[in-house]
Amino acid sequence: MLLLSLTTLFGSVASAGVQFPQHVPEDAEPVSVDAPYVNVYTGPGRGYPIFHALERGEIVWLLKQRTDWVKVTTRRGHTGWVRVADLADIFSPEGEPLRIDRVDFRDHRSQTLQLGFTYGDFAGADSMGVNLGYRFTANLSGELRATQAVGQFSDSQTYQVAVLHQPFPRWRVSPYFMLGTGINITSPNATIVATEDRQDTAMLTGFGLKTFIARRFALRAEVANHYLLTSRENNQEIIEWKLGFDVFM
Amino acid sequence: METGLRCIYVAALAVLLAAPVNAQEDDPLGGLVSPDLERREIREADIDTEDFELSTFGGVMNVEDFGSNPVYGGALAYHINEDLFMEVGYGQTELGESSFERLSGSAPLLTDEQREMQFYNLSLAWNLFPGEYFLFDRWALNSNLYLIGGVGNSSFADEDHFTYNFGVGARILPADWLSLRLDVRDHVFEHELFGELQTTHNLSAQVGLSVYF
Repeated sequence: MLLLSLTTLFGSVASAGVQFPQHVPEDAEPVSVDAPYVNVYTGPGRGYPIFHALERGEIVWLLKQRTDWVKVTTRRGHTGWVRVADLADIFSPEGEPLRIDRVDFRDHRSQTLQLGFTYGDFAGADSMGVNLGYRFTANLSGELRATQAVGQFSDSQTYQVAVLHQPFPRWRVSPYFMLGTGINITSPNATIVATEDRQDTAMLTGFGLKTFIARRFALRAEVANHYLLTSRENNQEIIEWKLGFDVFM
Repeated sequence: METGLRCIYVAALAVLLAAPVNAQEDDPLGGLVSPDLERREIREADIDTEDFELSTFGGVMNVEDFGSNPVYGGALAYHINEDLFMEVGYGQTELGESSFERLSGSAPLLTDEQREMQFYNLSLAWNLFPGEYFLFDRWALNSNLYLIGGVGNSSFADEDHFTYNFGVGARILPADWLSLRLDVRDHVFEHELFGELQTTHNLSAQVGLSVYF
């Protein structure tokens, strides 16, 4: 038995290409784990039962990743989920160190995509919005924003491009300043006021606070001033308050 | 005088500090145990992520005063971590005849086109109770129970209605990439079709099938 396991171990290490057992898909990456042992769970979450443990140096195949969990399979066909954090020290069969990607807001060098939902008050109307942002540097991000507001007297949609500057990205609660431009489409509720839809160019300035409550999840609060350049006699100012969250993807 | 003393101190200190350095150079193991300063190239493991979940659902939705009607739609979710996911959902249903229209015998309040209701929402959900469901002796299916809530828009009768939604759902995974979902939601919005503004609670119960990718 021991002899058999030794030969399989040496066989797998000695040959440059590891032999894939039949149940392993061809595109799965084989790795050896340099940790005393690693728990294997039946599902991708801390609540699922642990049914197996990987030994030091054991070869496993990485099948897929969901959130912070990786599905692995062993030579003997034990298939389950392990934490990405437990796979910090993994090596290819050739001894090359490998890394599994984990997005982290604390890694200020990483340029990441951020997706967020917001809920707010747009001059008395309830508003909801989606933001798609890209962080160029720790301080500077760009953002595409779409909001729909539904009010008693009028509904509006806004589409904007904005630049966000975070002067202190390392602070626990980090402030940011925003400058942007876009269009506001306002449609008065026909039953009350009989006017046409208006489309105005808007200038956007804003201030907000962001705080991370998980590795990839931030809450944000924001107040923004929409300055509408209307074709009427006076330009119009709208103050918008927003609460929402951002996710690092 | 004082400067001279200081010079001696400094010289003595320099000798003392230098001593360990010399000792290290003379160390017979120096050649063997040398710090490995070679830069390590770390490659990213070739692994597929499956954080998105695309689902379709069908069920029954009750719109207050307008009866219960079939509802169907779809949703796209992104799993943030094992506890949270965010979801964009879309659905449509039809409004039936209100009791006011039936009893008064007057002309219908809404045209057929106005009775079609579309809604969409942005929600955040919390996987509260992960676990397993057991089916006979043989199968243990991964599952979780989640609480979900969000904001959105419901449009019918040529009007948009800002809608809050909250509810609870159960997810059962026959395979890692496939899940069966059961959802019960309350869609809360205000409308003034009957003359005065009223807040309505509109419940939907739906069964869905989703695929992770």
